Amino acid sequence: MNVEILIYGTINSVSLALYALGFAMVYGVSRLPNFAHGALFVLAGFIAWTLLNSLGLNYMLSALLSIIATAAIGVMIYRFVLIRVRGMEISEIIASYALGLAILEGLRWSGLKGMTYTLPVFMEGSLQIGAVAVDYQRLLVVAAGSALVAFLYFFTHYTRIGLALRGMAQDERAAMMLGIDSDAMAMAAMALGSTLAALAAIFLLPLGNIVVEAGYNVLILAIAVCIVGGLGSWAGAVLAAFLIGFAQILTEVYLGAHYQMVVALLAIILTLVVRPSGLFGRQKELEERV
Amino acid sequence: MRITVCLAVILAVFLCLTGAGLAAEPIILGCPLPSAFLYGWDAERAIILAVEEINANGGIKVGGAMRPFKVDLMDSRDLEPGVPVSEALLALEKLILDKKADFILGGPVRSEAALAAMPLLSKYKKVSIVTTGVLTPKYHALVEQHYDKFKYCFRIHGEATWLINEILTCLIEIRQKFGLDRVFIMVQDVAHARASGDILSKVAVEKGFKISGMEIYPTGATDFSMGLIKAQKTDSQVLSIWMDMPESAILLKQWHDMKLAALPFGSTLASAEQPGFWKATNGKGEFCMANVVNAGNAASKATPWTMRFYDAYTKRWGIEPEGLGCSSSYMAVYVLKDAIERADNLEPDKIVTALEQTDIMGVYGRLRFDPKNHQVIPGFDPQQGAVGSIIQWQAGKRMVVFPKSIAMGDIQLPPWMK
Repeated sequence: MNVEILIYGTINSVSLALYALGFAMVYGVSRLPNFAHGALFVLAGFIAWTLLNSLGLNYMLSALLSIIATAAIGVMIYRFVLIRVRGMEISEIIASYALGLAILEGLRWSGLKGMTYTLPVFMEGSLQIGAVAVDYQRLLVVAAGSALVAFLYFFTHYTRIGLALRGMAQDERAAMMLGIDSDAMAMAAMALGSTLAALAAIFLLPLGNIVVEAGYNVLILAIAVCIVGGLGSWAGAVLAAFLIGFAQILTEVYLGAHYQMVVALLAIILTLVVRPSGLFGRQKELEERV
Repeated sequence: MRITVCLAVILAVFLCLTGAGLAAEPIILGCPLPSAFLYGWDAERAIILAVEEINANGGIKVGGAMRPFKVDLMDSRDLEPGVPVSEALLALEKLILDKKADFILGGPVRSEAALAAMPLLSKYKKVSIVTTGVLTPKYHALVEQHYDKFKYCFRIHGEATWLINEILTCLIEIRQKFGLDRVFIMVQDVAHARASGDILSKVAVEKGFKISGMEIYPTGATDFSMGLIKAQKTDSQVLSIWMDMPESAILLKQWHDMKLAALPFGSTLASAEQPGFWKATNGKGEFCMANVVNAGNAASKATPWTMRFYDAYTKRWGIEPEGLGCSSSYMAVYVLKDAIERADNLEPDKIVTALEQTDIMGVYGRLRFDPKNHQVIPGFDPQQGAVGSIIQWQAGKRMVVFPKSIAMGDIQLPPWMK
């Protein structure tokens, strides 16, 4: 059972990291808890599906346009709604959650319900690793997730915008004194976060189907990963994704699949009790000590 | 004489203005259904179709007048993950109190919600026919145990005990034909599925099957790989699936990608019941079997009415009957019409008596309720009782393969199992 735990634990962990990276990115830079993250994930899936099936566009083009459209929607959410409540944490949560609800229930209301909305996989077939069969799409998820984490590392360490984003994340006021436009960077973070949500959708939704309910599940998982990893820490989010991902698979193997969802919720509770700042939430930890 | 004419004219004008002289008061059918889910909208469409047909033919003859049916639908949300049962009860109570429903038809659909709704129906003396979902045997057991309290509750579709009987009989056929006898059970973490999985695991062993494992998945689960690997490791030959969540389509995709040598048999498998399943799985769901509970939900010639309903539904909604609640929801309206006309009254106790005396040949066979527990009487022969249907996806179509009396084709194995 060890090989399959390793393989499917890794796949599950990378999937969780993909769900959470966008949420972690937005919060890390702008301190905005984007509770519309799950809705953007589902919306990206439906946009790609519509372009593919209703307009008959090529799948790669549909995916690309869906990512661009989702990023644009993310920017608009910040520019027209969140900017007005920025700094008021409760209002930010309420506003972004309300937007997420409006998007998800709007999709449902418009008739996008049922289990027939699917995106095609990028590669058909499966690979036999020892006695374990793994389909190519899941392997692609692992490759895409790893590439995305590497890209984010280089982007935030070696590009002007990336460095500005990190500057904002570390100390917003100091960054502003150095001429970094706080609102522009927060908007860029929102665009990047939405892009990450859309990328996650494009890679993960072909494994299943596009359903409105997924928006709520993705949000819960993203929050769980970010709380365990430490809100605002991208590295923490990746590590937490692996911890929760493997814990879920081990739970499924040794306890039963129906305890799987409990793992994520238990992780949130345990983290908040034992170490509220999470694994890598250094700034929060400092605030707590003070 | 002049006064009489004047009075007649005034009365005629008054009746015209109030509309009382033109339209008969409709009989309101309150339908608490989870409209965002298959088992909600398929029932809704079937009920509307039946009501349209009945109204087009003049309505229901009661008290010497012809009255139409009117459908009032309310979203019970009972199939949504995380939504408490109280939501369905609120919808039901609103239908009774605000919409003044004369009868309750359709749901609540989730067993837990339907059981919780029984005291409410009793409190308001509302005759209800559940037509979809609700598989728990406890529903009709409660009617039998507390007849005076719960006599207003009827169920017109198959329930878990009978479904297990059907499934077991079908499994025996599969064993005889292909020699498959190791069953791995995968159930959703909801009352009917858990209970059915437990019962199947017991009775299957009694019939000589080996249960190689049982996995329970939370509603909304999206990854079934580890369970499928367990099935592979235990050399399972049949996957018995009990899931009404849309994500169950993922299970079939994963099964196909792993080329698992076990025949998927959806005892309740919402995704595979739908005509869109083929497209949703890109054909990976081929060879998947699914119990669609009653005949008429897939094409067959169970009775002369079966294909008439099937074609009418397809024409009206532009899609074939979709889920397990289509034919039963459709027939519930006709059964109620029949009972109202025989009772010639809307008084609940008289309708209960009339429903207990129901005996009509419907879309899925002879329809009668057990007078003790108000469960529709099932059978393997449409001439004897409400007959079920088990389909298998073959070359993009839902082929009825069980029971033999109405089968349109034979069960097939996927190429990697031959």
